[in-house]
Amino acid sequence: MLAIETHELVKQYKNGVRALDNLNLEVNKGEIFSLLGPNGAGKSSLINILTTFYKPTSGNVTMLGKDICKEPAWVRTQIACVAQHISIDEHLSLMENMTFQSRLYKVEPKVAKIRINSLIDIFELSRYLKYPTASYSGGVKRRLDIAMNMVSIPKILFLDEPTVGMDVMSRKAMWEMLLKIRDEYGTTIFLTTHYLEEADRLSDTICIMKNGKEVAQGTLESLRGYIRQNMLCIVFPNTREAKKYKGILENMEFTKFAGVRGNSVVLGVEDSRNSFTIVNKWLLEHHVAFDAIEIVEPSLEDVFLALTSSEENRGGRGL
Amino acid sequence: MMNILWRNIKWRFKNKFTIIITILQPLLWLVLYSAVAGSTMKDTGITNYTAFILPGVMFLVTFSSCNSGGIMNFLMKSSGSFYRILISPVSRSSIVFAQMLESILVSFFEVTILYVVSIFFSVHISSGISGIILMAILIFLLAFFLSGLAYTISLCLPNEVVYETVMTAIVLPIFFLSSALFPPENLSGGLAVSVKLNPFTHVINALRSLIFGEKIVFSEILPVILLFVLMCCGSYALAMWRLKNETSI
Repeated sequence: MLAIETHELVKQYKNGVRALDNLNLEVNKGEIFSLLGPNGAGKSSLINILTTFYKPTSGNVTMLGKDICKEPAWVRTQIACVAQHISIDEHLSLMENMTFQSRLYKVEPKVAKIRINSLIDIFELSRYLKYPTASYSGGVKRRLDIAMNMVSIPKILFLDEPTVGMDVMSRKAMWEMLLKIRDEYGTTIFLTTHYLEEADRLSDTICIMKNGKEVAQGTLESLRGYIRQNMLCIVFPNTREAKKYKGILENMEFTKFAGVRGNSVVLGVEDSRNSFTIVNKWLLEHHVAFDAIEIVEPSLEDVFLALTSSEENRGGRGL
Repeated sequence: MMNILWRNIKWRFKNKFTIIITILQPLLWLVLYSAVAGSTMKDTGITNYTAFILPGVMFLVTFSSCNSGGIMNFLMKSSGSFYRILISPVSRSSIVFAQMLESILVSFFEVTILYVVSIFFSVHISSGISGIILMAILIFLLAFFLSGLAYTISLCLPNEVVYETVMTAIVLPIFFLSSALFPPENLSGGLAVSVKLNPFTHVINALRSLIFGEKIVFSEILPVILLFVLMCCGSYALAMWRLKNETSI
């Protein structure tokens, strides 16, 4: 069953900006759905509509089988949203924040108490109980933010770039918690992120947006199919060299897109075997120092770049 | 509604300086201005000038308290709780009411302090308990109207600095073009019309008549109550309209 379905969704602001342009997407119940897209793709506008904050200009949005424009009050009882910026009340203690949120969602006090204790355990917050929330680190505040939003056990949890500004360890711990939320509570998680690794690790379904439209939607495997191609990875001795040759390799006739990843240049090409031979030959003829060249499978980053980079960047060759 | 009210009161307790800041200026008017200007006003037949300006100062402190209630919208927007509350299953009316009610409670608290201070200046309510009840009703209506107005204005403006500037620009003309500091009987021309058209003149006069008069003149009080009930409905409707507009950009 679908948790969220949008059909021909349009959001045009009063200043004329068309943030969503006939967007269609489907989110299954109980899955982690990641929304990817460059800045200005319309991700925040979409979240604002799905959380009933903004009204769409046209089109339909169904959430758990109900039209969100006709029954926004009911939809609000079923969802929670962890916004891009941490949203906790620093004048309230950890327990007071949790209690306030439970009362907003009219959770029975006894039930709320049990849930709050359980969430404090899941999000490993018990050792912060006695300290003022204003003194928490960004990571702990974010954990509290998510725990608060889980106190109503929402059917759908929206997370707008939840791991921004977190260090690697905290981010990985957060991923574990999100998987736990999905598995233990059966919550549908709708996630927007700029970290492709995050989407790669967590998502059941990924949607890539650009200019207010969905460019592709599916599992990671099916998205790889969108750019039905193998790719070349050329490993240089250092990043400086990689950056130096990226431009030249990008302008080669068969290159669809190029990107630097560490000390490697990854090329999206039309025919991997042919391109392998040509690039190899060119590097040797021009006495370019390189450590390795190989044909690789596209990663999510490659798919993202291929689908969102502009026509001009790809030399006018669409996929 | 009580949940949001509880949260706002917690904020106020944590930021006690907001109470001190909002009461400081009215307190100075009550203590210093009344002492200085009182001696020059004796010729006008005013026996206790502190008692005379108390209603005007009550208006001033109510305005300041409601003004600081509007600031809460900016704080809530920057902390993200404004959005979090709006997408929760709490009715828009409860959100507006809770915030207005907090401003009203602070207004009552500060008005009480002013009254207690004024007792040391021989001020007493001549109309007794019923007069005090009527004064409470008038102050409630005044605070309700002003808190709704502050709520609306705060949602129309981009930041706290502009908001504070606008509110200061509003309060001073209203305060000086009322009967807060002087008896309006001797005024003439456009000034007299302006003072008469100012609805706050009437609430100040009504409060003053309850302080000085031993008998309650209902024919003077009830029209003011009626006027402010209507103004409160308008102010609340404006606040609701502006909140709904926040989500329809």
